[in-house]
Amino acid sequence: MVSKEVEKFLLKVQKPGRYVGGELNEVIKNKRDVEVRFAFCFPDTYEVGMSHLGMKILYSQFNSVPYIWCERVFAPWIDMEEEMVKRHIPLYALESGDPLSDFDFIGFTLQYELSFSNMLNMLKLGGVPIKTADRTDELKQIVVAGGPCACNPEPIAEFVDIFFIGEGEEVDLEVIELFRECKAQGKTKREFLRLCADIQGVYVPSLYDVDYNSDGTIKSFTPRDGAPAVIHKRVMTDMDSSYYPDNFVVPLVEIVHDRAVQEIFRGCIRGCRFCQAGFIYRPVREKSPDTINAQCHALCENTGYDEVSLSSLSSSDYSQIVPLLEKLTSWTSDEKVSISLPSLRVDGFTDEIMNKIKTVRKSGLTFAPEAGSQRMRDVINKNVQHDELMQTCATAFAGGWTTVKLYFMIGLPTETMDDVADIAHLGQAVVDTYYNTPNHAKGKSVRVTVSASSFVPKPFTPFQWEPQDDIPTLHEKQKHIIESIRSKKIQFNYHDADTSFLEAVFARGDRKLCRVMELACERGFHFDGWADCFSLQKWLALFEECGIDPAFYANRRRSFDEILPWDHIDYGVKKSFLISECQKAYENQTTPHCRLKCSNCGAAKYGRGVCFEKRQNLV
Amino acid sequence: MKNVRIWFKKDFECRYISHLDLNRTMLRALHKSKIPIWHTEGFNPHPFATFPLPLSLGFRGVNECMDVRLEDDDYSFEEISKKLNACLPRGIRVFNVTEAVMKAGKVAFASFTIHLSLDNKPSGLICQQLNDLLEQDSILIEKKSKKGMKTVDIKPGIKSYSVTEKFDSACLEIVLSAGSSDNVNPNLIISALEQKTGAEYNVDVTRNDLYNSDMEPFR
Repeated sequence: MVSKEVEKFLLKVQKPGRYVGGELNEVIKNKRDVEVRFAFCFPDTYEVGMSHLGMKILYSQFNSVPYIWCERVFAPWIDMEEEMVKRHIPLYALESGDPLSDFDFIGFTLQYELSFSNMLNMLKLGGVPIKTADRTDELKQIVVAGGPCACNPEPIAEFVDIFFIGEGEEVDLEVIELFRECKAQGKTKREFLRLCADIQGVYVPSLYDVDYNSDGTIKSFTPRDGAPAVIHKRVMTDMDSSYYPDNFVVPLVEIVHDRAVQEIFRGCIRGCRFCQAGFIYRPVREKSPDTINAQCHALCENTGYDEVSLSSLSSSDYSQIVPLLEKLTSWTSDEKVSISLPSLRVDGFTDEIMNKIKTVRKSGLTFAPEAGSQRMRDVINKNVQHDELMQTCATAFAGGWTTVKLYFMIGLPTETMDDVADIAHLGQAVVDTYYNTPNHAKGKSVRVTVSASSFVPKPFTPFQWEPQDDIPTLHEKQKHIIESIRSKKIQFNYHDADTSFLEAVFARGDRKLCRVMELACERGFHFDGWADCFSLQKWLALFEECGIDPAFYANRRRSFDEILPWDHIDYGVKKSFLISECQKAYENQTTPHCRLKCSNCGAAKYGRGVCFEKRQNLV
Repeated sequence: MKNVRIWFKKDFECRYISHLDLNRTMLRALHKSKIPIWHTEGFNPHPFATFPLPLSLGFRGVNECMDVRLEDDDYSFEEISKKLNACLPRGIRVFNVTEAVMKAGKVAFASFTIHLSLDNKPSGLICQQLNDLLEQDSILIEKKSKKGMKTVDIKPGIKSYSVTEKFDSACLEIVLSAGSSDNVNPNLIISALEQKTGAEYNVDVTRNDLYNSDMEPFR
């Protein structure tokens, strides 16, 4: 719902359809009939936020509970923000049009470190004090956050009352239920938060004290009031019975991923050593083909979408991918629905899968070898061989594809300039493969896009102790790739090193960064994930003002025995396993994936998923 | 196969979506409704729908139309209304389905109701300003074209108009040239007015009806 005041200037801003709600399947309740009002905030634009699957799941799930009304809030784009501030209009939720400050819960999903500034900015625009300590002790305006960046909550610990660690479907509702009880008993927010901390998967940062050594590293981390010393993540144990929406809000304006999305499994068997998702979502848990098929069908029926995307960290690792595609294609072509299969691995693109996708729509092909040389791919445990990639490309070219996108990373641990040049050489080898494939598309040229992002060391990965290459080194490596490319068929893109640097600072930061974040909010920082707004110079000035050296977080090698800012959080993977993986990386040794051999990472303690599947070689 | 014209209103939240977004929303609703509409036969089949005259972002439309081809000649028009409304957002409501009597290209005029107001200014003043503008022999505006800016006279595109003073706004009823050749968008009149007076108005535009070159209602 949009207010008369907002309507007065909506036509002055770009894409006003983002600020009005009113979409098909939007949930409207009477606020007098509900006990808990939850503002689900996505700290980016409508188009980005509406594409996010986690929000769709939790929005539907919360609203399926009669006493909760969950609404959506997105960051207004800069032109809209300017108009709203000028006219003193607080940030509002799309469903009711009510300001953020009216809500019991204000929840953020943290997908990206550079959206932290948007989170604080949204609180500010919504008329909510950004710091936990400055908010009311009444039971309202409880700021909660979850998502992958919650795995190191420390840089934003002073702003968030509750972090959800791990998967949200169960723990969120337990917290809301506790809120309801506490409210009935007239408890204060402080009392409520203390009780919350006893729920598994809940981290209340205000219940912990941090002490530092003189060199700036952490000396101790101490719980108060009997709060748990270690916070354990939550996992859904049975994916088939986990809540999944049969309905999405269908946006009126075009969004980034404008299609139905069907999750097929959580976690990843591979264990690529740079990949945070590959560790924090362990163990791999699959949905059955029948569940997926039924959920896909319901989604398409209820939304009118003619495209459904199968979502996971690595689609071709789904153990029953071919039977699943067979089930899906039995109705999709009649109903004119197409299936897209993102996140395909180089070694997972078989003729069979190709023909199934091809029956509906020929989308672009994207593979992520991640590194150019075989040695480097072994270091990161990518487990992809040069010949496999060439074989896969040959299959695709024979099948009529003429464009391939290849994703790489630069700045990986132990990387040399020769490894970097091999990125260009691999691109060239793909071009050569095209012309050596006898039945490639007639009369057409090949296009290979090579993209290189900069490695950002992340918590809970074997590389969490690694320094990031400094910006001049990253620039040098980018330049080296450009100079090593010989063919006009190769297009090279690279990711801005400045943003990767800031990402690295916040990814592994501690509570001392809260002061920087607070100042950033005061100075009006927002949309740092967007080139339109991001300025490293401005951030460096803030760091200097706070007396903080960002290189301490991004470019310093940490020792295995240093207390890391996120050490009190347990994602199921043992630290000793991460250390051994890191050491194996230095020796160019790979680790087999979960289906080949259990490497005893620790995730088996959840008692479910791939850890308990029968392995083929054991039959 | 039968050509069918679907009549609808576009208002509330849906007032703020562009023609491209409307197109996407309609195609999705047609797909969801499972009404037997002819689909394009390309590699990526989708329901085929055309709009005789697109509506600008921000305008309310009370008598808008979209043409589709029905594969089943006996399919009930009432059923189309009912099914489509169940699949559309609340800001778009189908109220009638007819055969397409006139060709889409026959649209030559469109009528609009435009409310203009200024915070803390009497509506009588705005009426005066409107009359002053519209009485001119020519109304020249700068228009962007492929070869840079170009000056165009929009006066010949104004078929008729009337200005009435309302309690909180000035109300302009106007009929303008419409269609693919000499289209005059009411936004041009508003920007001509704003250029002349230097004020920035609160504007509310509703498109009422479409007409052919003989001013017969488009059917």
